[in-house]
Amino acid sequence: MNTVKALLEKNREISAWRVSQTLRTSYELFFVHRSLETVRATDTADISVTVYVDHDGARGDSSFSVSPAMSESDIAEKIDAAVSRAKLVSNPPYTLPERDTLHAELPTNMKDADMKALGCRIAEAVFQADTVPGGSINACEIFLYRDTLRVLNSSGVDKTQVTHRVMIEAIPTFTDDHQSVELYEDYRFTVFDPEKITAEIADKMAAVRDRVSAQKPQTPMTVNVLLRPHEIENLLLEYAWALNYSAVYSHANPIKLGDDLQKDGDGDRISFTMKGIVAGSDRSALFDDDGLALTDTCLIQNGVVKNYFGSNRFGQYLNVEKPSGSLKCISLGAGSFSKQQLKAQPYLECASLSGLQVDLYNDYVGGEIRLAYYFDGEALRPVTGITMSGKLSDVMRHLRLSRETAVQGSYEGPSLLLMQGITVL
Amino acid sequence: MPFSTYLNEKRRDCEELVQALGRHFPYVSILGTDVRATVVRADKRTSAVQEGQGECGFVVKMNDGRAFFEYSLNDISGDKAALAERILAAVQTDPNLAQKMISPGPVRDDPLRQDFARETDFAAYSDQDMLSVCQEMVAELSQKDDRVLNAACILQPFTVSKIFVSRNRALTQHYGWANGHLIVTYNGDKLVQARRTEGSDRLKEIIDALRGGADQVIDLARHLTKATPIEPGIYDVITDPSITGLIAHEAFGHGVEMDQFVKDRAMAKHCMGQYVASPITNMHDGAAAAHSVASYFFDDDGVLAQDTQIIRDGILVSGLSDLTSAAQLNTAPTGNGRRDSFKRKAYARMTNTFFEPGKDKLEDMIASVQHGYMLFETNNGMEDPKNWQIQCTAEYGIEIVDGKLTDHYVSPVVMSGFVPDLLKSISMVSDQGKVIGSGMCGKGYKEWVRVSDGGPNLKVRVKLG
Repeated sequence: MNTVKALLEKNREISAWRVSQTLRTSYELFFVHRSLETVRATDTADISVTVYVDHDGARGDSSFSVSPAMSESDIAEKIDAAVSRAKLVSNPPYTLPERDTLHAELPTNMKDADMKALGCRIAEAVFQADTVPGGSINACEIFLYRDTLRVLNSSGVDKTQVTHRVMIEAIPTFTDDHQSVELYEDYRFTVFDPEKITAEIADKMAAVRDRVSAQKPQTPMTVNVLLRPHEIENLLLEYAWALNYSAVYSHANPIKLGDDLQKDGDGDRISFTMKGIVAGSDRSALFDDDGLALTDTCLIQNGVVKNYFGSNRFGQYLNVEKPSGSLKCISLGAGSFSKQQLKAQPYLECASLSGLQVDLYNDYVGGEIRLAYYFDGEALRPVTGITMSGKLSDVMRHLRLSRETAVQGSYEGPSLLLMQGITVL
Repeated sequence: MPFSTYLNEKRRDCEELVQALGRHFPYVSILGTDVRATVVRADKRTSAVQEGQGECGFVVKMNDGRAFFEYSLNDISGDKAALAERILAAVQTDPNLAQKMISPGPVRDDPLRQDFARETDFAAYSDQDMLSVCQEMVAELSQKDDRVLNAACILQPFTVSKIFVSRNRALTQHYGWANGHLIVTYNGDKLVQARRTEGSDRLKEIIDALRGGADQVIDLARHLTKATPIEPGIYDVITDPSITGLIAHEAFGHGVEMDQFVKDRAMAKHCMGQYVASPITNMHDGAAAAHSVASYFFDDDGVLAQDTQIIRDGILVSGLSDLTSAAQLNTAPTGNGRRDSFKRKAYARMTNTFFEPGKDKLEDMIASVQHGYMLFETNNGMEDPKNWQIQCTAEYGIEIVDGKLTDHYVSPVVMSGFVPDLLKSISMVSDQGKVIGSGMCGKGYKEWVRVSDGGPNLKVRVKLG
């Protein structure tokens, strides 16, 4: 990185520069059933460089990657090529984040752990949940990462953050005399808690047991649908995309400041904030790829669009005084209903979807349901083989949120979101 | 542009490292990658000329007769004995896990030394040339209709150089591909985005196709502003090649990736030799099966590209395997071992996946539908190889009434159901097809690789919502 920095400083055609380096070590275990199929380790460096060239009242930029194996002359050649490219580009001017230094480690209890021993303990915690008669974990992949991100720029930014994170992909399966079914589990954490891992996998083992007995309900029907955190996160990510500075600057945003997304509604008014850090989330960060300190930003308050968010460059293009930075975590305010209240009327609670489809342009929300729990007012039973669809603006007007909250992935907020009047086929 | 000079200089290093690690493992291979991508983009307000998502590094794969071991690193220069020791230390396992390893069959390492190359025309286009094309396209699209809020044109050529060295094999390959995109943001009755995508290893073809498609993308945008939600139901559907490809990919492609067989994650494992589709259905996958984005010469396990027929006359006849799953199943690998990058594991993956053309004329197929939809352009899809549920989302559909396409557009359209029901409902297959090389495919929700898919128009009966 020092060589790259020295070469950039020596080049007189460059107006500004930014270097981002990610050093990653990983240890990865791949199981087929309970047998270890593959052991992987990685030790890699990714270096990304952006040069900025001011010309004719405009700013051009061009990015490229540098391999640690490159010679000084190779790097110099790449810098020259990027300068030539930047001269072709004429974008409105903007400044880089100013002098700021930081060296931080995000909270974890895995910092001093030996990756091999920890990987083994994680595997033990996963398979500890494999106790359901008829059930099995047919595949499991465990990824342990230590990432060190350093961002430097020509305006004096020099920031480093170290993150330790784990991702588990497990496939709980249940087999009876007639069929075999599975569910997909993607569990991520930054704090190792073996009991929590076992509980998480055990929940999915119970769910997959239900899937084998799940039947297609009588359809078509119109029903209230309950979404869990993973799907709530996906729903909110669509709004986050639309309220990003770059989407707004390119006129691609179907919603804008001041829009009341729940006008004339009778449900919970949503308050939705993009955050730098959500405790336990593997997407937490202190700064973004530009080295810009992240500022938590409320996008939607009581149902009304209040702010946009995003990168330094596009924030400046929209005349935002202090751009938020590229925030990755989502926080949704708690609702006014208890889970019990939300489940008082007939409902369909989605436990596994192929993927929630949300289309702000076409006012649509829907998706294929692999496993849900249907309460018809009298009994609760697992169902499958159905597809739901609804009008997104109606969903927003009448949605209800639970008071109880949960943290999952990059999301913190209500553990249930109720969408009223969804068509199920 | 020739094969990577950098990788060429590493041939000897690869051989020496294979030799050093060969003292500890019966099977050792090294894959070196140098993928270089360029992104040239312009819209009404900004432009960019820069490197795209590339990669440069090495992954070492070893097998000790039981488990597989891999180590990814940026460089393999220097003292090979020391590097081998470093690798051995890094992939060590906890003693508790060492007792629980798989017992695969022999790992194939048949002797072969060969260099492969396929030329592109990328060198004929400078950065300035490509940026000028993008800027001209943006200007043209913007001038066509004052309701165009923004227009973007993107050109993305990339070249792949890979070297594979094992005890018995020494292979290199070099090829390229490019994609071009037009995106129009249009404000009519509502705000919409319309897209057109092209793929080829000739930039000239892409640029010509984009230039020729400007009117169509504006026309599509106009129609999409009037598109309505579809009334959920079960309909007769005619697919365009993109949606045909999506069905091939999601409905069946993932289900025949044989690493899923090993894990008992695929229903297809139990359906070999059985009817899984209508008897007029034939489906292929393979890097050598079509000329498109995934047409490599050898896979990331050093296995030569093949054309694998998956479904013959409605009967499931073959799956797709990487070296690791083939060793566990005691079968010959099919050349489908692919990595997201040198930093990730190789899995059994699709390449170019498509249905064969049939005998029907598209106009007859449309004429045969009393009420239904013709679906266009893939948005996304999700597989479920164990339980054969699928979800495929099309960007839009056009209503068919009394055998004629109407002016009524619906968007988005989510197609879902049970795979065999869908495939057995194929009642007509058009006589012309197209493989579209602009897709990215994940395994689960990660491990992204470039894929193509496509085929002819199909007539199916399926649930839309």
